[in-house]
Amino acid sequence: MVGALMASFLLLAATVWLARRGTLVPSRFQALVEFPIEWLAGIVRGTGGKRWAEFAGLVIAIFLFVLVANFIGLLPGVGVVGITVEGEHGEELLVPFVRAAAADLNFTLGLALIAFVAFIAWGIRANGVGGYLKELLIAEPAYMTPLLTPIHIISELSRLISLSMRLFGNVFAGEVLLAVILALVPLFVPVVFLGLEAIFGFVQALVFALLTMTYITLAIAEHRQHGEGDAHSGDTHAGHEPEEPEAQPAPGMA
Amino acid sequence: MEEPNTVEFQLLAAGLAIGLGTIGPGIGIGIGFSRAMEAIGRNPEASGTLFVPYILGLALTEAMAIYALVIGLILIFAVG
Repeated sequence: MVGALMASFLLLAATVWLARRGTLVPSRFQALVEFPIEWLAGIVRGTGGKRWAEFAGLVIAIFLFVLVANFIGLLPGVGVVGITVEGEHGEELLVPFVRAAAADLNFTLGLALIAFVAFIAWGIRANGVGGYLKELLIAEPAYMTPLLTPIHIISELSRLISLSMRLFGNVFAGEVLLAVILALVPLFVPVVFLGLEAIFGFVQALVFALLTMTYITLAIAEHRQHGEGDAHSGDTHAGHEPEEPEAQPAPGMA
Repeated sequence: MEEPNTVEFQLLAAGLAIGLGTIGPGIGIGIGFSRAMEAIGRNPEASGTLFVPYILGLALTEAMAIYALVIGLILIFAVG
């Protein structure tokens, strides 16, 4: 929790500094802060569809927050300096002052809930409540509904689980890996793994942001795809035997 | 006859779950990465456009290993 607070204060300080001191021709520090934002905005513009500007802010905010939180988790002293308390069975437990934020499931689950609510809200805004429920509950050929509807609902919920557990698992496993390597080979070798963890921290932040973007884009585009699917199924019904299960848009990427 | 120690079996099951569960995603990510490298080798200008789909595919393949991790954590912390 302290790590997440530190990350948000750091981002807040950078925002305030930039709002006060930002200039049109960026200084060196300003260019450093602006670079990832512009880079990610370019990616969102390229893959986010027509309405990319609406959710670009959310995607970039998630990316920066997770990135800074992950990098704070790699600083020396984080997760190691703390107080010892007595555990349940009388053993000594170390409670660190600052932990890697994403090594706590509450942090990642909170972020994943934000993303979950966001892509459902965008789906409802784009298609209306009826359209969203229709997309969720009624399968493309109506007779497949009893089979496909539970799969749909589970795949929607599994996005929440896989988003949160992916970040948690990676960062937590990274902490454990570093501890194990430090115990095995205390000199030089951990540096390699520290670099590896820095790359993972960046990649996982990017993955979280890009998946949020993809889910929102899918939720917005579902209606349009649905219309195409309808026209397509009409064709196949008129023509040969129906092949909808393969032809229909994927129910969701989990 | 002695009662089997369930905690040890839980730990064994958790280890098996994550160990066997990472085989498939490992192969999958390897195939995806090798194809991406092949594509970049053939057409180096495409590395920019390949980056985002590659990262997304990696994340979705990795999701299977994440489910194994969830099962492992459930076995250790939530069962019994």
